[in-house]
Amino acid sequence: MSELDLSALPRPKSQPWQVRNPKNTWLITAASVLPMVLAVIITLGAALDPTVATILVFLPLQIIASVSVGQYIYGKKGRGDALLVIFTIFFSTLVGVLLVSVMFSVVVNGIRAMSPQFISQNNVYISPTTSLGYGGVGHAVLGTVLIVGLTTLFTIPLGILIAVYLTETRGRMRSTVRTLVQAMSGLPSVVSGLFIFALLISPNFGNATGFTQQAGWVGSIALFPLMLPTVARIAEEALRLVPQELRNGAYALGAPAFKAFWQVTLPAARSGLITAALLGVARIIGETAPLILTTAPANNTNLNVFEGSIATLPTYLYSYISQAQATSQQRAWGAALVILILVFVLFSLARVLGSAKSTKAKKRK
Amino acid sequence: MTQLQDSSGEIPPRRQLRTKPFSLADRVFYGVTKGASSISIILVSAILLFLFSQSLSTFQAQGLDFITGSQWNNTKGDEVFQIGPMLWGSVLISILGIIGGVPMAIAAAYFIEFMAPKPVAKVATVMIDLLAAMPSIVIGLWGLYVLTPVVSHWSELLYTMHHVELGFASFDIPLLSMSNGKDPNTFGGTPFVAGWIVAVMIVPIITSVTREIFSQMDRDLINSALALGGSRSSVFMRVILPTASGGVTGGVLLGLGRALGETVAIFYVLNLVSDINWFNILESKGGSIASLVLQKFGEGTSEEVKALMAAGLVLFVITLLVNWLAAVIVNRAQPWRKI
Amino acid sequence: MENIATSASHLRSEDVNVWFGERHVLKNVSLNFPGNQVTALIGPSGCGKSTFLRTLNRMHELIPSAGFAGRVLLDDKDIYGAEVDPVDVRLNIGMVFQKPNPFPTMSIRENVLSGLKLTGRRGYIAEEVVETSLRRASIWNEVKDRLNDPALSLSGGQQQRLCIARSLAMNPEVLLMDEPCSALDPGSTRRIEETITELSDSMTIVIVTHNMQQAQRVSHQTAFFLSEEGNPGRVVEFGKTDDVFNNPVDPRTNDYVNGHFG
Repeated sequence: MSELDLSALPRPKSQPWQVRNPKNTWLITAASVLPMVLAVIITLGAALDPTVATILVFLPLQIIASVSVGQYIYGKKGRGDALLVIFTIFFSTLVGVLLVSVMFSVVVNGIRAMSPQFISQNNVYISPTTSLGYGGVGHAVLGTVLIVGLTTLFTIPLGILIAVYLTETRGRMRSTVRTLVQAMSGLPSVVSGLFIFALLISPNFGNATGFTQQAGWVGSIALFPLMLPTVARIAEEALRLVPQELRNGAYALGAPAFKAFWQVTLPAARSGLITAALLGVARIIGETAPLILTTAPANNTNLNVFEGSIATLPTYLYSYISQAQATSQQRAWGAALVILILVFVLFSLARVLGSAKSTKAKKRK
Repeated sequence: MTQLQDSSGEIPPRRQLRTKPFSLADRVFYGVTKGASSISIILVSAILLFLFSQSLSTFQAQGLDFITGSQWNNTKGDEVFQIGPMLWGSVLISILGIIGGVPMAIAAAYFIEFMAPKPVAKVATVMIDLLAAMPSIVIGLWGLYVLTPVVSHWSELLYTMHHVELGFASFDIPLLSMSNGKDPNTFGGTPFVAGWIVAVMIVPIITSVTREIFSQMDRDLINSALALGGSRSSVFMRVILPTASGGVTGGVLLGLGRALGETVAIFYVLNLVSDINWFNILESKGGSIASLVLQKFGEGTSEEVKALMAAGLVLFVITLLVNWLAAVIVNRAQPWRKI
Repeated sequence: MENIATSASHLRSEDVNVWFGERHVLKNVSLNFPGNQVTALIGPSGCGKSTFLRTLNRMHELIPSAGFAGRVLLDDKDIYGAEVDPVDVRLNIGMVFQKPNPFPTMSIRENVLSGLKLTGRRGYIAEEVVETSLRRASIWNEVKDRLNDPALSLSGGQQQRLCIARSLAMNPEVLLMDEPCSALDPGSTRRIEETITELSDSMTIVIVTHNMQQAQRVSHQTAFFLSEEGNPGRVVEFGKTDDVFNNPVDPRTNDYVNGHFG
């Protein structure tokens, strides 16, 4: 009987015990720094456009340098790694620059418009050239609070009830409901606005006038289909996180489903449900297109969400965005900063609650 | 003495297990949740039915030209409503946004999850999630005043390359040239600029989904691949990407759905022209359905509003398909995750 | 403590069969649980003993796709009858789970009283219910000074005894225990075993356990479940604990209780 050949493959050639040459550290550093320096020198010397320089000078230099160093130190697998690292860092930097630029522009430009009266005053008697010392977004903040508040008032209970239906009951429509909630989350906001506009405002059903004029409450309704899926989905996740054993514990004591939910599941999911509400509000607080279609812009403060024109932060920003005057543009940036801050606050609250929940969950284990 | 059990006897008939509650409180509880859930059914069907019934006359009057034609005229008697340029514009801008956004998003997710030091990764994650929740009007403002000049400049640079002169032949690169062959006087208001803004909008969304999928990946899988002597790049190409591809595709489609329906972020940077712009992405001529709705709804005649609803319906149906596809792909690839 | 019943109902299962979807997991299980007796259900993992336990108070049907055939009789009345509310069944037949599951949002006291609140019997809420229940679960001395602390501040063993106290506050006729000690240290296990022995004075107890010594220490009678290759689980042998362990009739029982498999 011939002996089996167990050495079909050549053994890997790497030698783990071999001390890596300390020179390599220098090579890697050089490969990271030199192309940059070289690119800057060439760019300045030839007076190149920065974009052109980045793409046509820096990137090729960097690739050549890294790949050759990678090849020198690690062999073939070093080349692929070098490319992966370069592309990851290049694109990540691009993302970082773009996203930081968004934040930075809004904060820096917004702060110029910011002042106590910008937050508190309304827009009456303000012309495009009025100095920033007068007028502000006070009326728009109130309008946003009213309209979003009204939406929240009926969306949060409905969204949570849908989540309860999906997680706590064995209803037959569950998969249908889940699919439709999912579908609703794909509804373009402008279509939601158009739907409500055509249904309630535009002359319809053979009438000469619509059912109502543009008003705050119509805007609230137009925001409803946009907020509902967010609330329902996050609330569903929160309820799902409540361990089944807790519900079983309640049922085993002889609790009816309603009380098991009310006294055991709901308190255990409370922070998650608040997160759902907060993220739902964050979802619609800057929503613009539906409000453009369903509310009429106003310069004065209107606290009646059921009648008359009413301003909101997004529509205020929308109306100032394309004005030619510098002060008007700064008002737009100011409004953007206020929206940013509101979203940030809602988001931070949700995160704080979310992490409090997860530490509690860890403790249980 | 113990007894041996004989269980070979006849199996008794199955019994009906009651799944419905007995007590009144429970029945009310289930009833209320069921009622609330029916609202979602009613709402979506109402939107679809209403839009459909309202747009029926437009569909009948315009026929298939509604989608393929490119005229828009609301003069009484000569009404023509066709959304070809707008529909294609929405698609073109979304494609540009995806082309620009996806590499950025995957790179950023890979960086956060596998390369960045912990504190950097944490801050970046929060930033990305926050930006994913950023209202589009804010992105629109930034896009108009900050990004547009930069991208217009890039467009200018790209345009300088549109004409290729070889010794024996010279021709224009279609993608970079103008449909009328003339040099443009502006590089703003182009699908290219709008595409970039959409890219910035969807990058956080796709990054967020991709990062989460990367973070849920089995670390043992990656470590065992590394233990086999795999390099960073081969592990990424052979292990990470294939494992995560379903989820990432879902995330990309989610971003695409968002991009298609985007309105105010690109409304001011896009030059709406009712003339189809197939691929001259640097030409200041384009459209999007959402922008069309926003531009026309106010002064519209009732026929025009109906045409807009037809356009909205087309848009909704497309986003529905995209979102449905995203859900199917994500659910298949990542059963534990539901979007 | 006069309101604690000293005699308990007896429970009986007749030809209980269970399916999950189309999978037949239990076949014709007929067991008798006389009042004030402790019955141990033993058998290898996956033989259906926990599933069987859950059919005894209709927790089973909370699992979607669950199917059932046969009868379960509490004092000769069928608890699966058409007019029987499962909620009422669970009121009389309490259950303690494998993993301690105190309600995290409630204090120790609230946990003990939670059953009364959850079943709308607030009228019975009294300090002495708290003390009695905690004493019967032999945890009173450890928690009497911190009844208002959150339940999750207790150790695992204490949490499990709190869960027992929670069930006892309802004063059930029958108490079902699903491997109540599997997640606990030996000290806590011993305390719970003592508790079980004391409780059998006032109620009928059915306990699922993987621990042969535990079954011998606490139970009066033992049922051995087995599910052989693809066949639904069934009871192989049932009788006095002493007999099952020391004088089994079926060789498989002998192998199992002596640790030869499972």
